[in-house]
Amino acid sequence: MTSAETKFSRRQALAMLGGVGATAFSFSTPAIAQRSAGRVVVVGGGFGGATAARYLKRGNPNLNVTLLDPARRFYTCPFTNLHFGGLRTFEQQGHGFDDLRRIGVQIVHERANDVDAKGKTVTLSGGRKLPYDRLVLSPGIDFRWGALEGYDQAAAELAPHAWQAGPQTVLLKKQLEAMEDGGLFILVAPDNPFRCPPGPYERASMVAHYLKTRKPKSKLLILDAKDNFSKQGLFQDGWKKFYADIIEWVPRSKDGKVAKVDAKAREVETEFGKKHKAAVLNVVPPQKAGFIAERAGVTNAGGWVPVKPQTFESAQVADVYVVGDATIAAPMPKSGFCANAQGKVAAAAIVASLAGREAPRASWANTCYSLIAPNYGISVAGVYEVADGKIVEIKGGGVSPREASDEFRKLEAEYGVGWYNAITQDTWGSKPA
Amino acid sequence: MSKFNTQNRVPCGLSPSIATMLGFALTLIAVQPVAAQSPSDITTLAGSCANCHGTDGRSPGPIVSIAGRPETLLLSQLKAFKSDTPPPGTTIMNRIAKGYTDEQIGALAKHFAAISANEPTKKRRK
Ligand SMILES: Cc1cc2nc3c(=O)[nH]c(=O)nc-3n(C[C@H](O)[C@H](O)[C@H](O)COP(=O)(O)OP(=O)(O)OC[C@H]3O[C@@H](n4cnc5c(N)ncnc54)[C@H](O)[C@@H]3O)c2cc1C
Repeated sequence: MTSAETKFSRRQALAMLGGVGATAFSFSTPAIAQRSAGRVVVVGGGFGGATAARYLKRGNPNLNVTLLDPARRFYTCPFTNLHFGGLRTFEQQGHGFDDLRRIGVQIVHERANDVDAKGKTVTLSGGRKLPYDRLVLSPGIDFRWGALEGYDQAAAELAPHAWQAGPQTVLLKKQLEAMEDGGLFILVAPDNPFRCPPGPYERASMVAHYLKTRKPKSKLLILDAKDNFSKQGLFQDGWKKFYADIIEWVPRSKDGKVAKVDAKAREVETEFGKKHKAAVLNVVPPQKAGFIAERAGVTNAGGWVPVKPQTFESAQVADVYVVGDATIAAPMPKSGFCANAQGKVAAAAIVASLAGREAPRASWANTCYSLIAPNYGISVAGVYEVADGKIVEIKGGGVSPREASDEFRKLEAEYGVGWYNAITQDTWGSKPA
Repeated sequence: MSKFNTQNRVPCGLSPSIATMLGFALTLIAVQPVAAQSPSDITTLAGSCANCHGTDGRSPGPIVSIAGRPETLLLSQLKAFKSDTPPPGTTIMNRIAKGYTDEQIGALAKHFAAISANEPTKKRRK
């Protein structure tokens, strides 16, 4: 209640300074605000944004919710690794926005180019300005082009990252299929933090499965900027079991950190000057929050977004909520599951704040399945809450047992598919494809 | 953590007015400062379940649906997951269930039991 009052008086003050448009003015008396549901603009139709839009409408059907994404169809990164493994088509990862339209979300296929946090408007790529009462940003990641020497946008056309699903996924798959038997596939893994901590290692597993079944003389080298990684023991057990002759992992301490990329030659050079030449070069570059977060003034010096844990409102700019990979939410990982969970928490907080109520207490979970081979899945789980103003992981959670039966691994592979079906239903309203 | 344990004594899902009638609110005020407290909301807690069990607990895939199952069944299942001897065949729910208090588990069981199993997208609150 008190926070709502502060907001209204702030608006009134702004109105007196003449800094507020007519629409915002109509919200400047609490009596009207109580009856009017409000306008929310959501930037990004991925895991965080589409979920926030859906749960805003569920929380209050009278809200005016607009979702922006230039893409007419969203392709998930989750399960693209299975596509590289030959286990799914690319199209199986595609999701449309019709179900969100059906529940009353307005979908606009434009990019948000700018945010005016004072005037509370978003400028679209078409030039239009959309006013908002609350803004949600879930733009995912952008790459720090050039932070890894030699790796810029042009280089990514030769040595794909495939760390955003779409043309990059298609390109890497094509290169993999065109590769001769006996070739070397190099995967360059980044330092923390980055999107999907187990992602590079699931990718290695699935590419290795493809090589084992189609190009058995080939090898896969992981050059890593880290000395340890998510679910490491489980991955390494699986690699020993399935891909002992194919996968080699080189940690940073063994000169695994790549310092320079020559995309044309498909060659990389490590910190200590060792050169490796690949037949297919897959570089996962250093990352930051999507550019619109910077435009909105919500990023910190490191390029990521600090948030108030209880609501995922920006710690720097009022009425701008940020969810998903763009945020600093550790110990929660940058996962689709977490982006979805954060989208729900932000939606509930926004519904409450527009109604002049306090946000409900936040609670999140994460489950992340990785597939090492067909019928061989592993997982990590966590439950999170806010304590002493910080996000903390509650006791429990953790990874699948090291010693587990084949039946157990098979179930986790199956539940991985179940997870994908459920979360894509919950986010875009999709049916299993 | 201690802060939360105190608040967790208020059963999730009870509206503030009911809590007042039951005298919980008084206890809360007596136990701790009013500031920094947010109301519990079962839908927020239940939100995470949807990511594997489907929206509102209606699963579209190989994971079981939990919507419309008898409360006692959901409760005993969750308690078994949380115990040191989870039911045979458990893969991940033992790890997840440990992250919730008994009160939260009780509220979740009640919540999903109250949702009809099949009804597509009829409006339903609480
Ligand atoms: C190979 C791989 C495997 C993965 N596997 C898993 C997994 O198994 N499980 C899991 O939980 N997670 C997985 N992830 C992680 C998951 O993909 C991300 O955590 C998730 O996508 C984050 O959601 P988000 O909403 O932050 O961003 P995204 O899902 O990337 O959505 C961002 C959207 O915003 C749009 N956008 C950006 N800027 C603008 C703008 N200015 N205007 C309008 N629209 C904009 C983009 O077009 C995009 O559609 C994986 C990732 C990778 C790379």
